[in-house]
Amino acid sequence: MATLVETGEAAIEDSTQPPRFARLPRPVILLLVLVAILCGLIAVFGPTMAAQATLNGFVAGGYIGLGAIGLTLVFGMLKVVNFAHGDLMVSGAYLTILLAWLGVPLPLGMLLAVTGTAALALATEKLVWRPLRRAGAGTLQLFLSAIGLGLVIRSTIQFFAGSQVRTLGANVVTSIAFGPLRMGTLQAVAFVVGLVAMVIVGLALRYTNIGKEMRALADNRALAEVSGINTSRIIDITWTISGCLAGLAGVLYATAIGSFNPNFGITLLLGLFAATILGGIGNAYGALVGGIVIGLSQEWSTLLFNARWKPVVGFTLLILMLLFMPQGIFGRTRRRS
Amino acid sequence: MSLLCKRSISASWSVVSILALLMGTASAQAQSLDLTIGALLESTGPLSETGPSIEKAATLAVQVANQAAKDAGIPATVTFVAADSQGDPQAALSAARTLVDKNASCILGPATTPEAISVLNGITLQRKITLWPQASSTRLRAVKDDGTIFRTVAAADLQSKALVLAIENHAGKGKNVAIIFRNEPYGDALSKTFTKDWEGRGGKVLTTVSFDPQQETFDSEAGQALADNPDAYVVIDYPETYAKLGAALVRTGKFDPRKLFVADTLSFAKVPGTIPVESINGAFGVAGSSPRGTGAYALFNKLWDEAGGAENGSYTANTFDAGILCFLSAVAAGSTEPGAIRDKVRTVSQEGARQFTIENLADAVDAAASGEPIDYVGVSGSFRFAPNGDLTTGFYDVFQYRDGKQVTVEQVNVK
Repeated sequence: MATLVETGEAAIEDSTQPPRFARLPRPVILLLVLVAILCGLIAVFGPTMAAQATLNGFVAGGYIGLGAIGLTLVFGMLKVVNFAHGDLMVSGAYLTILLAWLGVPLPLGMLLAVTGTAALALATEKLVWRPLRRAGAGTLQLFLSAIGLGLVIRSTIQFFAGSQVRTLGANVVTSIAFGPLRMGTLQAVAFVVGLVAMVIVGLALRYTNIGKEMRALADNRALAEVSGINTSRIIDITWTISGCLAGLAGVLYATAIGSFNPNFGITLLLGLFAATILGGIGNAYGALVGGIVIGLSQEWSTLLFNARWKPVVGFTLLILMLLFMPQGIFGRTRRRS
Repeated sequence: MSLLCKRSISASWSVVSILALLMGTASAQAQSLDLTIGALLESTGPLSETGPSIEKAATLAVQVANQAAKDAGIPATVTFVAADSQGDPQAALSAARTLVDKNASCILGPATTPEAISVLNGITLQRKITLWPQASSTRLRAVKDDGTIFRTVAAADLQSKALVLAIENHAGKGKNVAIIFRNEPYGDALSKTFTKDWEGRGGKVLTTVSFDPQQETFDSEAGQALADNPDAYVVIDYPETYAKLGAALVRTGKFDPRKLFVADTLSFAKVPGTIPVESINGAFGVAGSSPRGTGAYALFNKLWDEAGGAENGSYTANTFDAGILCFLSAVAAGSTEPGAIRDKVRTVSQEGARQFTIENLADAVDAAASGEPIDYVGVSGSFRFAPNGDLTTGFYDVFQYRDGKQVTVEQVNVK
């Protein structure tokens, strides 16, 4: 599993053995719980309604998960709670609009917008994060700087592009039918791209040299440096990848949702952090799975309660899950020494 | 000091005081009435589609008021100041403070109930500044406003009756209806009133789905609303979120736009580019309107067309009338002091008094300045304000979207 956070501490066997169910891996426990809930919903509401809510949950969770992959990389590796990540997503969407306005064809514009967002993320490292690290900024200073940076990016976009609702003009009303079930065509595309991005990032972290160096840096920065790893270069690469993923998420979100304004990033941010923490900090697979768990819980809840309570149910579940698995779904257990 | 001396000084002071009083009065009579009318516009935010037309209506009111004062020969000038309330209560309060700093004696807008409550509690109540919101929620009746809120826009209970008539006329009586509304005071109040009115007329409400406007997707909400194949669906939403909700409705594969009836906030002369045409073309809706065929209506439309710019939309005439009422109240009060204006609003819209319209507004100014009670009959009709500042009757257009444009199919007057 491509996890950046490791403790390296020795394990100590606990004298009290937990029940057999609790000894199962957390992803398996989660899967069993989800399957049990789905079975219950099918029994009460019928297979069509339960399946449609599940499909909707995957779509909603896909948006959150895709956005959270880039966030979890920076969070896990550099310990930066990047509150500006949502606004990097917004940058991707608005760069696409700018390029379309300049006459660049939409697919090429999207590609350039993703690249532009990566460049912006790298610029924030050079202009903000690196100087702050050198100045010995602590967690609170970094946290506040991230909020400020997000505000600066958002306000700059508003200054040039206005606050009104924009659209990329994609056809958001077409859908794919699976028998009685429906899924928006662009929603399906966004979900598949999110899945592919997750797999690529996960595999790259596990099998490439850069991935190994990134994991080494996340594990112990001082040790990585004395081992000859160019940490500055790795940090730059991390920001670039995170920016790429934020740009991609922003472009896909804007395309599939259809309409947006410069505040969509800040609106999504809470969900992104929830997915990051729920999935296990620093884990690309965890980010997407965390997003999907939140999406499923929210959409399933609409079968039981009025849809207005959707966010409340989703985040109540998040609190409950963190009570029982505080390390998240894919996070490593911090062992006692 | 001797008694004689004291009396002499006292008499001198009395003479000086009387002279000063007389001079002051003469000065007041000659003093110009410099009224500033403020407007909270939805230039950005979820109702930004309405911003330009409401701004144009307020500007027209100021121009017409200045012309009337000039024609009447009274020394009065009206200035217009505006600020963006952004559809956000905090931003609206900040914008209102800006207007007050610029000496606004009354404020037209804002368009939503949470904004109106924020502005009222934050600044206008304390300063007795009259607030003329386009917000139609009945929740505004429950707030303590010290008589400062006047609505030239009919409240949601009247709109609900207009919606009932529209559905009966275009979908049939006693049909099964689904309601989808955004979870905020406007949607909540209108959906409850509509449910009561519709069921009171023998209809049935199959499903009521409320949604959180901050969500990214509304596919589950759309699916639930259409699950039981209702004969009509009532959508109470703003353009920004309907762009997403409408797309989700179409994606269900069960959506027929001709069964859709929208509330006034989804009324626009031309469908905005952000809303998928498939989700609204053929839909019906209701929007506050003005009685057709009156001279005031014709003159207002003539002025609107001559001014160019934004297309006419819903509640433009109501906003225009609010501006004129504020001006006439200030003239009647002979003051730009907000509390004095508030106290004269009912004097210039008094039932049984001599009636005036914008066609003879200069005469209205003359009469109001002389202290005579008048009845200003606006472009949007007469103003019979209930004790809570709400109108007791309302005119509504029932419209349909055809080829992306709004076409009025009938007009209803509800009480």
